Amino acid sequence: MEELDGDPAVTLIPGVNSKKKQMCFDWGPGEMLVCETSFNKKEKSKLVPNCPFIFIIRKDEDVYSQILRKLFNESHGIFVGLQRIEEELTGKSRKAQLVRVSKNYRSVIRACMEEMHQVAIAAKDPASGRQFSSQVSILSAMELIWNLCEILFIEVAPAGPLLLHLLDWVRLHVCEVDSLSADVLGSENPSKHESFWNLGRLDEARQMLSKEADTSPTSAGMCRTLGDLMRTMPILSPGNTQTLTELELKWQHWHEECERHLQDGTFTSSPHLETLCKIMLGDEAALLEQKELLNNWYHFLVTRLLYSHPTVKPMDLHLYAQSSLDLFLGGESSPEPLDNILMAAFEFDIHQVIKECSIALSNWWFVAHLTDLLDHCKLLQSHNLYFGSNMREFLLLEYASGLFAHHSLWQLGVDYFDYCPELGRVSLELHIERIPLNTEQKALKVLRICEQRQMTEQVRSICKILAMKAVRNNRLGSALSWSIRAKDAAFATLVSDRFLMDYCDRGCFSDLDLIDNLGPAMMLSDRLTFLGKYREFHRLYGEKRFVDAASLLLSLMTSQIAPRSFWMTLLTDALPLLEQKQVIFSAEQTYELMRCLEDLTAGRPVRGEPDAQRLQDDDIETTKVEMLRLALARNLARAIIREGSLEGS
Amino acid sequence: MVSVINTVDTSHEDMIHDAQMDYYGTRLATCSSDRSVRIFDVRNGGQILIADLRGHEGPVWQVAWAHPMYGNILASCSYDRKVIIWKEENGTWEKTHEHSGHDSSVNSVCWAPHDYGLILACGSSDGAISLLTYTGEGQWEVKKINNAHSIGCNAVSWAPAVVPGSLIDQPSGQKPNYIKKFASGGCDNLIKLWKEEEDGQWKEEQKLEAHSDWVRDVAWAPSIGLPTSTIASCSQDGRVFIWTCDDASGNMWSPKLLHKFNDVVWHVSWSITANILAVSGGDNKVTLWKESVDGQWVCISDVNKGQGSVSAAVTESQQNEQ
Repeated sequence: MEELDGDPAVTLIPGVNSKKKQMCFDWGPGEMLVCETSFNKKEKSKLVPNCPFIFIIRKDEDVYSQILRKLFNESHGIFVGLQRIEEELTGKSRKAQLVRVSKNYRSVIRACMEEMHQVAIAAKDPASGRQFSSQVSILSAMELIWNLCEILFIEVAPAGPLLLHLLDWVRLHVCEVDSLSADVLGSENPSKHESFWNLGRLDEARQMLSKEADTSPTSAGMCRTLGDLMRTMPILSPGNTQTLTELELKWQHWHEECERHLQDGTFTSSPHLETLCKIMLGDEAALLEQKELLNNWYHFLVTRLLYSHPTVKPMDLHLYAQSSLDLFLGGESSPEPLDNILMAAFEFDIHQVIKECSIALSNWWFVAHLTDLLDHCKLLQSHNLYFGSNMREFLLLEYASGLFAHHSLWQLGVDYFDYCPELGRVSLELHIERIPLNTEQKALKVLRICEQRQMTEQVRSICKILAMKAVRNNRLGSALSWSIRAKDAAFATLVSDRFLMDYCDRGCFSDLDLIDNLGPAMMLSDRLTFLGKYREFHRLYGEKRFVDAASLLLSLMTSQIAPRSFWMTLLTDALPLLEQKQVIFSAEQTYELMRCLEDLTAGRPVRGEPDAQRLQDDDIETTKVEMLRLALARNLARAIIREGSLEGS
Repeated sequence: MVSVINTVDTSHEDMIHDAQMDYYGTRLATCSSDRSVRIFDVRNGGQILIADLRGHEGPVWQVAWAHPMYGNILASCSYDRKVIIWKEENGTWEKTHEHSGHDSSVNSVCWAPHDYGLILACGSSDGAISLLTYTGEGQWEVKKINNAHSIGCNAVSWAPAVVPGSLIDQPSGQKPNYIKKFASGGCDNLIKLWKEEEDGQWKEEQKLEAHSDWVRDVAWAPSIGLPTSTIASCSQDGRVFIWTCDDASGNMWSPKLLHKFNDVVWHVSWSITANILAVSGGDNKVTLWKESVDGQWVCISDVNKGQGSVSAAVTESQQNEQ
């Protein structure tokens, strides 16, 4: 049974001070609604003032930050790139490539940090300036953690190079802190000079020493000795071919030499030079005395390691880390979340790192991307979760869901869902339907995404929504194309009917282009087919291809594609063809037409029409029918004669 | 981090009973004891009153948005025994239908999955559940289940649409055969599952018994593609149960107690991806719950009403990783 690590977080909603009211709650697609209410319906609200406010709450507020957007955008590119090259990552180059990806992520964080720093400086009011500055600190912490993880988990630096990496790590952050805080440590005293503390830049410290030697002849000798010691300190440099054992031996010798000088009292006359020597011996007390120059315990840690255990092994790190932390804090303060996270990293407890980061950070960006990268390094054991089959997927799902709350960042979220094999697809289906389709462009974008992934239900649903909207706004062409795209036969029939009604009212078609170019989509519904063919009839007529037009017209009725209600119109359309000089309808066709007419007239009265209307229509109808009968009869006569003559000759 | 991003002043003159976001999170509907239903446009952190709908003669208990493919449609139910369906036509909201088939307060309304058409279920204190189906041209067909719950029905919730077999591309426009189901909770301490038979009649399919007092709310979780159905229920007895059913045939439902609260629990509601359950209780709190690795439900956040001052947003702790 899982124990909670702490009480769940409590979020307070500012509201009217009232002990009697409850909170009513509902979910929106990306947010939560809360309002004050009283569930006990029998209770009258009396004179207790009610709170008319509804609070809309959201997680993932960071999604709306302008500057962080760049972080989200660029890291998205790196993420997708990583997923794609996964198969190609083999053998020795794999590690190098993964390290490169890690460095890419870090440079994106740094770029974002820099930008935010600029904004913080330029901020007009102190409150927002402070807010931006705190964001900068958070980003800085993120980069710090990521960097350490890179060294320990991805680079997997062995003893020797490990220290070099750690030196770089701290150096980067010390410089950063200095440049960002605009505090410059300046002092004559070399032990107070920051470059000395920018570890390993002993050369600069030596220059300071030689300057001092020049200025004060009494300590010249000591300065030179100390300088020599500094110069000869063995450190592993990249490209150095000596083995670890060789380095250790050399270092041991050097260490003993320094020790000897100290014992012999070489530096006793100059306290600060003696301190320097002690520091070079890794004397903790001496180091701690300079505490105010060390920004933090990990700076202290690495300095210590440099001067006392340069060949430290990765698995021993945590021991030194713990003691450094304890010594540095000195019982005066307790560790902060950042400290705990770094500690967990030194202990190689990846899960703990991720867990603590999840708690400490305000959005899922960091843990989602870092965990994904570590997963590619095959470092995560898969824990079975209900939501996401492993931690990686769980975090990616959370992150991507947050992106969907944003009106344009949601597009990034799509790719993240794509790479979540278990629940990515269904999560995408649920989220993508909720994107407001404000513009046609956006709707098309959403549709394309759904179609690419064969999400047919979503396509249908979205097209239906758009089709109905179009019908309500009387944009029939648009409605028709949406219903075709949705493959919604019923709706296509509805829209086609509207088109036909339109035609009857106005005598012409709207959206001719669309109807002319229906192609195979015409088969979606009978009514739509009829619409297409009817338009084709008009085209043929316009091109004076009367015989073809005539055949088509007839077939529309005999094949039952034409709705009954439209037959009168069709027969009326036949009139001009019947009145032509040349005979167009054959005798047989004329018989068919007559039969259709009789069918139609036998089937009256038309139901649903009010009487007055009917009477009027009856008049018109009767006239039409008579005209038709006459025309048909005449045509029949001419056709029979013509056919008879042809046969004869 | 949870933070308040917008505060909408509804200006309701009396207690608010329900607030619902529309499908896209762009509009907010609220209803109140002041008998009105109000609709706001809440895009981009703003609040514009779009409509103040009057028509009920008593406190309005719930509102529910229909799926956007049917246009902008909102249903409301009230103490005045009526269910009103409102629709936006040409930019204005109007009453499009009124259903007065109940003898007592109507407590809950819920729209069916859009795949079934436009169907509204209504639960009432007269113990009956009515189902309104839109048949076209402003006409609504009513089916009533009398005595669904003795004393009264407090909540209705539809099951997500389950696609039976292969549905893709039915060119003749034929409606696929969905198995329509919904759950209801009542004053008989029971949760009942209802299924539509082939003849169009609704039949009680299951009774879920576990509560010892009136069931106040039921919520059927959205489907996330797993072969499990999940229902949350809460009651006057202070308990919230999570019911799950693994069968394809859907017969064996087993309850798991989420938590026993010290007060009546009034409302349960699932997030859209069904991974968080929100529970509103009598103790002035809304708690959010998530299922952890070993199937236990863990509280991940407490949303509490403040006592006047600053809203202190604290990060949400993520419990179910390890």
